[in-house]
Amino acid sequence: MTLDYSQQHLIKMANQIAGNMPSRENVPAQIVQHMAQFWTPPMRADLKKIAENAPDSFSDDVLAALALQD
Amino acid sequence: MNKPIEIAIEDLDLGTPATLSESTVTVHIDGNAVDVPAGTSIMRAASLAGTQIPKLCATDSLDAFGSCRLCLVEVEGRKGTPASCTTPCEDGMSVKTQTTRLDKLRKGVMELYISDHPLDCLTCSANGDCELQDMAGVVGLRSVRYEEGSNHLAASTDNSNPYFSFDASKCIVCSRCVRACSEVQGTFALTIAARGFESKVSPSEENAFLDSECVSCGACVQACPTATLQEKQVINLGVPTRKVKTTCAYCGVGCSFVAELRGDELVRMVPDKHGGANSGHSCVKGRFAWGYATHSDRITRPLVRETTDSEWREVDWPEAIAFAADRFKAIQQQHGIDALGGITSSRCTNEEVYVVQKMVRASLRTNNVDTCARVCHSPTGYGLKQTFGTSAGTQDFASVQKADVIMVIGANPTDAHPVFGSRMKRRLREGAKLIVIDPRSIDLVQSPHIKATEHLQLQPGTNVAVVNALAHVIATEGWIDEAFVQERCDVASFNAWRRFITLSENSPESLAEVSGVPAEAIRSAAATYAKAGNGAIYYGLGVTEHSQGSTMVMAMANLAMATGNIGRDGVGVNPLRGQNNVQGACDMGSFPHEFSGYRHVSDDTVREQFTALWGVDLREEPGMRIPNMLDAAVSGQFRGIYIQGEDIAQSDPNSQHVADALNAMDCVIVQDLFLNETSKFAHVFLPGTSFLEKDGTFTNAERRINRVRPVVPPASGMAEWQVTCALSEAMGYAMDYASASEIMDEIAALTPTFAGVSFDLLDELGSIQWPCNEQAPEGTPIMHAQRFVRGEGQFITTPYVPTDERSTRKFPLLLTTGRILSQYNVGAQTRRTDNTVWHAEDILEIHEADAELRGVSDGDWIEVASRAGSTRMRAHISSDIPAGVVYTTFHHPVSGTNVITTDNSDWATNCPEYKVTAVEIRPSSAIAVGM
Repeated sequence: MTLDYSQQHLIKMANQIAGNMPSRENVPAQIVQHMAQFWTPPMRADLKKIAENAPDSFSDDVLAALALQD
Repeated sequence: MNKPIEIAIEDLDLGTPATLSESTVTVHIDGNAVDVPAGTSIMRAASLAGTQIPKLCATDSLDAFGSCRLCLVEVEGRKGTPASCTTPCEDGMSVKTQTTRLDKLRKGVMELYISDHPLDCLTCSANGDCELQDMAGVVGLRSVRYEEGSNHLAASTDNSNPYFSFDASKCIVCSRCVRACSEVQGTFALTIAARGFESKVSPSEENAFLDSECVSCGACVQACPTATLQEKQVINLGVPTRKVKTTCAYCGVGCSFVAELRGDELVRMVPDKHGGANSGHSCVKGRFAWGYATHSDRITRPLVRETTDSEWREVDWPEAIAFAADRFKAIQQQHGIDALGGITSSRCTNEEVYVVQKMVRASLRTNNVDTCARVCHSPTGYGLKQTFGTSAGTQDFASVQKADVIMVIGANPTDAHPVFGSRMKRRLREGAKLIVIDPRSIDLVQSPHIKATEHLQLQPGTNVAVVNALAHVIATEGWIDEAFVQERCDVASFNAWRRFITLSENSPESLAEVSGVPAEAIRSAAATYAKAGNGAIYYGLGVTEHSQGSTMVMAMANLAMATGNIGRDGVGVNPLRGQNNVQGACDMGSFPHEFSGYRHVSDDTVREQFTALWGVDLREEPGMRIPNMLDAAVSGQFRGIYIQGEDIAQSDPNSQHVADALNAMDCVIVQDLFLNETSKFAHVFLPGTSFLEKDGTFTNAERRINRVRPVVPPASGMAEWQVTCALSEAMGYAMDYASASEIMDEIAALTPTFAGVSFDLLDELGSIQWPCNEQAPEGTPIMHAQRFVRGEGQFITTPYVPTDERSTRKFPLLLTTGRILSQYNVGAQTRRTDNTVWHAEDILEIHEADAELRGVSDGDWIEVASRAGSTRMRAHISSDIPAGVVYTTFHHPVSGTNVITTDNSDWATNCPEYKVTAVEIRPSSAIAVGM
């Protein structure tokens, strides 16, 4: 899958959030909460679509977080 | 428009500063009893009692000096005639200020002064504004008996400074200028050279002012009692005839000024001695660099164009508004309401910002609104809210006077916040210790009478590692303030933090290699801060503009809570905000996820309050941040933007990406003073107002809300908030306000921290620090005094995560950026003033070893390349930075520093990582584009 600039940026942002969550306990839930607070619904939906096609681009915590989203 | 407050009478100069003693003494001045604080000078006591003792070398902004001998008095029971400025009152003291003997002595003193002073009062530029002239009148001098002899009447005039002249022939060597430079500004550029008759004011050992260490703050000009040091504007235009109090529009210090005019022509800006933020001081920008407001580049008529490659067309306001609204409506119809958004400006008033975010939310019906704080202090908002409960500095500026240890992290106060920098330097000269954490050796590290106890010269990008190491030492050495933590903080979060921070991976020894800071230096600094008594942290964009900016803010908050340095004078965690109204723009609901007062849009109760007052349903999901909008524009989903007072094409990182995004939009509306880099991509240009034309409020870095009063009418004929309201109405949503005051009333009605704020109260109190409400009707200088805003202080673990931006073989140097004293941000204002004599272009500072390795000499043109792009500028060999690090500013579009900065950003807020860019340097024979 060829990723455009904004898709690559979303991937980077998501992985960065996962890597920087202060508490290392239940990181996926923290990611979900963070994205709900600061990301638009289309950004969250886009991220999910990207992950379906390019899961290798994401950390395990991000993939787990996306699985937690409805 | 509200009627400007005209100052009817001069503020009285009481001669000497106030003393802080709580005990009082009673003195009798010419038979009148007056109670004054112990230690008050006779001169000040007399002035408070209504008797002005003649004076020349005394002024209440400077310590008493006792040199002019004009203020002599008689004290009952004492021999001689002591100087009233240097003689403190004692209980029961009886003083005579007017006797035949004193009259004779004073007249004799004045006669000596005048014998060596030009007798050109009628043609002198200070005629009517000269204390020497006044005193000659007060003492009744009618003639000078001395015959012509040796004098200084032919002494030369130094006109080297662009803003003021120094006419040595008029100098009475009272030392007020020298003392102002030392005591108020703290630069020590001036001295009195030689002795006796040869004595003269000398800038940096007899240099011209422009070539000296003078920073052109103007304190000497303000202190001068004659026409010796005088603004060139006054010399050219004459003395002012009316005054209006207002607020500076440069940095986040937010200095209060008295604008002095002749008619509608501004003659000079004089810092207000009653200003809560500045107490009568200013810097070169605030006092002198306001000429941009009338610069010929100002655009004062609206402009529109069909495409960005066509010529601008000048139109009237109705046509411009209709053009913009039609474009926006077309975008909404074709691409949906989330294809539009807006950016508010930290250079605009609270009222102007508030109506823009309201227009976006209520009229455009989207939460796609963000502010330029995204690229500076958004991590402050995130970090301080998580730990303390709200996005705000904890102290007032005056608090630094009580600090025992001052920790400056990623900030350069003497350049970027100079008036606060002077206040800080005064405290340091009094003996407070200083810890500087910065890759650069900033001015504070070593300057006259100041030397940092520790300078932790860390590698860019390792802030969190260094502060974790400091906290590790404090926690493992047993220096935690356990009582404070138990009483004021969430203990469970503290225990988790303590377990984390005491891990060996956070020890100074473990982190020394990555941070470049020796472990012993960290241990020493930790002891200094923890044992301070009062330890205060001040920080700037060197903290926030990193991939871990938010983490770093929380790490500092942890440090302050762990040591009990929160909630009283002299302590705290204090962001030094970059622009004048960063705090206010954030307060006003400019972030896409928050309404005013930092309340999330998903909060049903809050949203219902706004819905009820605004009469429109509001969205409950956050909107896009600036970088999200730009990404979406490149993808074709985001098509139109309203940009208030912001030049994102120059100021935001990865300029090429910004340009691509703006180029992809169908309608870019820019509201600004000048055509700029962003307006090259615009379809509508709406002329803005300079701070001299605005009516409203700014909120500075200490949460101080100051009035901005219209000094002159808007050059464009409309206030900025009126323009925004007109566009909103054209889009179908009316926002009717009769005045800026009405907007503030609405802000107060919807924002708990502003509940008590009104223009009337601001006029009455001068300024107000929020929260201002029923519990604090006159504001809150120090926050979290009894409890944190969130209840208990929350400790948050802060693991150090290295940035992705690392030096490589291809890009082996790390570039960090910042600003300098004479220029401001993208330079739109300061480049259009004479401040360019100090800084005409961006320069790259490079260490000698790095320069030599690349064959670069001082002054050479070089190319700076990163993975994002390349630019050219000149190099300056500097010992202020370590090998491996280079530094430059971003004030000039010709060098376009942000062409090379990358899209890396803070993990929590997307604040760009301006402070770390891997680059390579090579000599370049070419000059910069456009030069």
